[in-house]
This record gives sequence, C-alpha cells and structure tokens, in this order.
Amino acid sequence: MGKSLGMTEGCLICCGWIAVGMLLQLLTGPVRWEMMAWPVNAVILAAMLLCIVLMCLLRKRIRLFRWMASLQAGIPALVACAMMTVLMGVTRQVPSGHVPTDPIGITAMLSFWPFVLAYVWLTLLVGLVCMTRLIHPAWRNIPFLLNHLGLFLALVAGTLGNADMQRLFMTVQEGKTERLAIDSKHRVHELPMSIELHDFSIEESPKLRFSSDVTVHTKSGTTVRDTILVNKPLSVHGWKVYQYSYDEAMGSESNISVFELVRDPWLPYVYCGIFMMLAGALTMFINRK
Amino acid sequence: MIDWTDFGLFALPAMLCWLAAALLSLSGKWKKSVYLLTVGGLFIFGTYIAMMWHSLERPPLRTMGETRLWYSFFLPLVGLVIYWRWHYRWILSFSTLLSGVFICINLLKPEIHSKVMMPALQSPWFAPHVIVYMFAYAIMGAAVLMSLWQLCRKQDQISAIDDLTRVGLSFITIGMLFGALWAKEAWGTYWSWDPKETWAAATWLCYLIYVHLRRSRPAAVHSALLWQVVCFLCLQMCWWGINYLPAAQGVSVHTYGS
Repeated sequence: MGKSLGMTEGCLICCGWIAVGMLLQLLTGPVRWEMMAWPVNAVILAAMLLCIVLMCLLRKRIRLFRWMASLQAGIPALVACAMMTVLMGVTRQVPSGHVPTDPIGITAMLSFWPFVLAYVWLTLLVGLVCMTRLIHPAWRNIPFLLNHLGLFLALVAGTLGNADMQRLFMTVQEGKTERLAIDSKHRVHELPMSIELHDFSIEESPKLRFSSDVTVHTKSGTTVRDTILVNKPLSVHGWKVYQYSYDEAMGSESNISVFELVRDPWLPYVYCGIFMMLAGALTMFINRK
Repeated sequence: MIDWTDFGLFALPAMLCWLAAALLSLSGKWKKSVYLLTVGGLFIFGTYIAMMWHSLERPPLRTMGETRLWYSFFLPLVGLVIYWRWHYRWILSFSTLLSGVFICINLLKPEIHSKVMMPALQSPWFAPHVIVYMFAYAIMGAAVLMSLWQLCRKQDQISAIDDLTRVGLSFITIGMLFGALWAKEAWGTYWSWDPKETWAAATWLCYLIYVHLRRSRPAAVHSALLWQVVCFLCLQMCWWGINYLPAAQGVSVHTYGS
C-alpha cells in the first residue's frame, strides 16, 4: 500500500483542473455554451452518468475512485468552487452571451474554463458519492440523498438544459396580433402560437400593477383569453409568457406591451432537484446530528 | 397611521426589556423573569413590525432599514432559544448588544420610503424569501459571536456552534431556493448570477465547507472557528457589502434603493 490520498492531493487535483482550464481558455477561448444544445447535452449527460457508474463499480479496486467519494476530495472541490465564485463576485461581469472585456476572460466567468471545470469536478464528485449510496439503499441515507442528489440534479439539469432554454421577446400593439418574436441576438423566430393584445394598463393604486389583457391563438386552433401580470405568467404549449415591458416614454398611455416568452424543457428536472434540496434542508433542520 | 417616527416608542421599551433580561441572565438568578422579559420585548417589537406592515400595506422588507428591523427582532429570539437550549448566561447580552446596534442605526438613519413597491416584489414568495434569510443571518450572527468568544476565551462551545451552523445553513438553503423559485416566476430564470446571487452562492459554499470540514476533521477546532469568521464576512458581503462593491453597481436586480 502506498501513501493514501488525502486533502493535499485534493487541493493539487483542483489546482490541476484550474491549470487545465487556463490552458483551454488560452487555446480555445471561452466555453461556448450554445454548442451544448440538444442532442449534445444529452450525450454529455449519458457519458457523465456512465463515468459515475463505472467509477462506482470499480471503486473497490481503484483507490482514486474510492477517494473521489470522500470528504478529502469533496472539501477541496468546494473550496475551488467557492474561490471561483468569490472571484466572480468581485469582478464586474459582462451581460450573458457577450465576449469578456479582459484578456484572461474572468469578466465572463460563466464561460471561463477554470470556473466551469471546478464546478464540473464538484458535480462529478457529488454524483459519485450519491451513486455509492444508491447502490446500497438504506432509509438512513434519505436525508443525505435529498441534499446531494437534489444538488446534482439541479446543477446538471440547470447547466446542460441552459442551451435548450429559449428566451424570446415579443412586442404587441393594442388591437393587433403577433406571432414573431426576437431573441437576445435580434434573430427573428416564428412561434407555434400568436398573441393578440386587447389592452395594456398600468394601475397605481392600491399597488403598482402592469397588466396585459390577451388572447393566445395556438396552431391547433384553441384560444386562451387571460390577463398577464408581472408575477403571473401565462403557460401555453410549453411556453411561459411573462409581462416584460411597455412603452416607457408613454407610461400609462402605452399602447404596446412587451412579453418575454420562455421555453425550458429541462425545467421539471431542475424543479425536482430544488424540491429535493428543500426537503433535505428540512431534514437537516429537524435531525441535527 | 404608524411610521418610522414612532419607532423609538416601541424600540426603547423593547430594548429596556431585553437589557433587563440580559443583566438578570448574567446574574444567574430569576430565570423565569429572563424568559418573560425577553418575550415581552419581542412582543413589543413584533407589534411595531406588524403595525408597520399594516400601514405600509406591504411587508416591511424592502429597504435596508426595514430588513434591519427584522434582524433586531430575530437576534433576541435566537438568543433566547440558545439560552434555553444550552444555558449560556452571556448570550442574551450579546444578542441584545447586536440588536441594539441595529436599532440605533434605524433610529439615527431610518431611510423613509414610500408605499409603492416594484411589481416584481409583489409576490407571495417575497416575504418568506427575506424572512427566512433574515432568520438565517441572525443564527449565523450568533454562531460567529460564539466562535469569536471561544477564540478569545478558550471556552469550549464548538458543538453548539456546529448545531447553530447546521440550522442556519438549512435556513440559508431554504431562503436561496425560495429565491430561485420566485425568480423563475417573476423573471423566467431561477438563477441569473447577478452580484447578490453570486455572493449568495459563495456564502452557501463557505458554510457547506464548514459543515463538511467539521465531519472530516473534528479535531481541527481552531481552523473551524476561523472559518466561521470567513463565512460571516461572506454573508455580510451578500447582505449589504455588494451595495458598496464597485463591481456590483447598477447591474443587480436586488438593489431597489432608488
């Protein structure tokens, strides 16, 4: 038996990931998240899960995999992620989708390879430790799995699904019907439905309230009439329609309404992860040992 | 109608109750009056919050001044729970002192704001999100005070600090996830990495490190205590530090000052 792997090795491996990330950043530029759209994200997810299962099965024979499911590997990974996140917190970030304004790339931290690799490493470790508990099911593992598997699900589905998420903006005039929307790069998209705006109004009392009275016509011929408020989006055909803006120069006289349309096919998995973590937080609160 | 000008009428009697309770608990006598006085102070202060809520026609959670109101309320509450659970005689003096600092800031600089609230804040998620976070801040405040006390006085209370941190972390997690669910409803994304969210993530990771470190190296008490201080600094950055951070100016959806 050689020297066992510990926290020091964990730190070294994290430094290694950061170095690899820097190299990738220099050679290939920032991470191109838009390339992760379906089916690439599904392939990556399958490969990651396969990796986790194999590592879990081989962990009795290969010391590295056994160590990867330990606190000695997990804590340095958490530290690396925390450091990258603090770095992000102290640098002014460019809006998402824009190119970084600094030579290294830390002003677009979400596309900065060392940041991404630190989180991927943490996610891999969390997935592996979940798998080692899942293959020997036990009731006492439930709080642990709610916390860790919930985080794994939310992180993986949220990150991989991001490229499949569509965010479009649609401007509709009162009395008109619109079926075209633009994305953040000003490309025009045709939607499987159209929105007819009957009335946009701003009420100042008792509470400030922006509302749009609309009818949505879908391709299949169904129509939905509803009122869209800031905290009350309309759900139709897998899309959510949010009240986004209006003609601010005209104020309450505005005769246009701007909607944000969001489609996020991975959302149920992210929600599943979030609710698991919520339940996990409750178990952590109740069962303080 | 009640407003900030009436704050002193409620804050000073509440403060007197808490002070009396703190002194009595230090003396170690009349335990029942300690509980009665603290609860009495909480009742007076809570009445003010409830009346402000009523007269503002929205939860008083929007401005820094209003969140300090909750912090001043939760600190003695957390202090009382710790006193009841672990019998630390000094804890009520600490919680009263901290609460007093926040009350003084609010008395001197009340930050008066109008009733109107941004539509995005008119959500059923708003009150739970902020109240849960304020409660977590108060618990973590108690945990860091106990850490500093142990660092200076060498009195062992690491197990109480661990318990507090676990409870605080579960509250931080719940507050953060409520925020994510709310953001999805209001803006269409659960996590957009705006400066407040970035610092919330960093804070959450720091406390996760603490909890895991305590499991992995239970004997390394000194480093755990120091790490508590780092975590709390991160938390302060998240709570109000970003309002002064150049990198966060003008880009956060969490600044409603103007």
